[in-house]
Amino acid sequence: MNLNKTPLDDEIIEKLNDRRNKIVSRTGGWFAGKGVYSHGYSMLDELVGHKSYFQILILNATGKLVERNIADCVEAIYGCLSWPDPRIWCNQIGALAGAARTSPITATVMGCLATDSKAYGVLPIADCARFIQQALKKIQSGMSIEQLLEETFAANNGKKFVVGYKRPIAKGDERIVTMEKVCKTLGISEGPHLELAYDIEKVLMEEFDESMNIGGYVAALLSDQDFSADEIYQLLSTLVASGVTACYLDVLHQPTDSFLPLRCDDMDYQGKPPRSLPKKTIGAD
Amino acid sequence: MENDKPRKHRAVESRHAPFVQRTVTEIWLEKSTSDNPYIASQVYCHGYDLLELMKQRSFAEVLFLLFIGELPTAQQTQLLEATMVGLITPGPRHPATRAAMSAAVGKTNPLHILPIGTAVLGGNYLGAGTIEEVMNFFHQYQSSDVDSTFKELIQREKNHPNQIPGFGKRYGGTDPIAADIAAHLASLDAAGKALIWGEQLANKLAPFGQGWLITGVAAAVFTDLGIPSHLGGPLYQLMSAPGLLAQAAELIKKPITAMPFVTDDQYHVER
Repeated sequence: MNLNKTPLDDEIIEKLNDRRNKIVSRTGGWFAGKGVYSHGYSMLDELVGHKSYFQILILNATGKLVERNIADCVEAIYGCLSWPDPRIWCNQIGALAGAARTSPITATVMGCLATDSKAYGVLPIADCARFIQQALKKIQSGMSIEQLLEETFAANNGKKFVVGYKRPIAKGDERIVTMEKVCKTLGISEGPHLELAYDIEKVLMEEFDESMNIGGYVAALLSDQDFSADEIYQLLSTLVASGVTACYLDVLHQPTDSFLPLRCDDMDYQGKPPRSLPKKTIGAD
Repeated sequence: MENDKPRKHRAVESRHAPFVQRTVTEIWLEKSTSDNPYIASQVYCHGYDLLELMKQRSFAEVLFLLFIGELPTAQQTQLLEATMVGLITPGPRHPATRAAMSAAVGKTNPLHILPIGTAVLGGNYLGAGTIEEVMNFFHQYQSSDVDSTFKELIQREKNHPNQIPGFGKRYGGTDPIAADIAAHLASLDAAGKALIWGEQLANKLAPFGQGWLITGVAAAVFTDLGIPSHLGGPLYQLMSAPGLLAQAAELIKKPITAMPFVTDDQYHVER
């Protein structure tokens, strides 16, 4: 046994002992008979009934109590990115959960979990935010958009790809048009991140016929509201929940085995043909 | 800046991406009955009849077959089985196990205990989330001389071995259980470069009060068994799952008072 105890270890043990059976929170908590607090606000006196659910959601996800129009904008983003179509991968998990007759919570939560994906969902929006926030700093330092794209392509091993542009399945993104209208109604102006995002889109459209996708738009829009990439990731954690629930229920209420049934030969087996099991020898192979 | 004029956008159109008509698998073959194409009457794992595998092979052997595509040697089976025992639980103090136990004592549907526990075990601190990085570390260094690699690694960190994937401190000290498990596994016939090189590195780290982390041990075994790096984390979750469930099972029938609930006077809000 290796017991390389050092004086430093004693300090660590002391610190750990100090935290035993104790919670130290930088967020808040419930104190029976006194109230429940989030980031300095009394939940029941100052938030519930006074602020919208999305204002509270953003507060809990980022520590920031935003204006109502920003919360309404995030709510609209949730609407744009949560569709009841079971062909979308996270929604298909919801539909399959319906086929397997799980609980609605299983279906919804597992669908949300799937959006921790490199290909779609919430994780790429955080990447988009990182990109556009760094890009704006570079442009403000004098870099041209062409230089920015050249640098980005080089970092992608020459692949002509910019996160936030191009979309799987389709070209173009109708959700951006809707979000632009929502933002206009809510009085949310385009800021420097979104303006840069459109300028990049212009170049990519001319050269590659590829436009901005909703992830790129949302990342730039929320970056203009001073959210960091991590904060954007946090406040969009349950982004697809309602669409997943809808897909779950659609299949739940249909006969068992009826959602995309597969015959045995619908799986394209390309492995080893049936073979005999080798005799097992003890102590040798 | 506000634009009054609506922006012009590209029209939406399908890419007509070339999706396959059928999903390809090289793992599992199901042969249907003659009268019903949906009912399988014979199933094969990488070509071996499942019923034959049941009769003649152990769970660990078939697990290896599933992921690698061929049956393990007797030595590989011994290494895998010993590893599965060593990793069977993260212990009741690990956050993943505590999450599973919290679900159980909270009367959560028992069917959700494993998803909850294994998901928390997927974290990047002492969890499955680190395994891929550690496996890549072994792939990068396991063929190199440990002395020169050690010098290179500590030079990066101002002559102190911080942040070496798979190695480090637990609660300010070394983890003797991880060290003992690694030493046993490294003594087995199927131990390969990663385990043996890792043992040498652990010896180098000892004067700094550091050593193997259990995630490092798991990653070394998976590397030696030829498991692809991206599967190391999920496999670690799978191997630890029995302990997560067993620890939670102890609490399923107990009242919610069977686990501590921090009192208000021990709850401090710092702002």
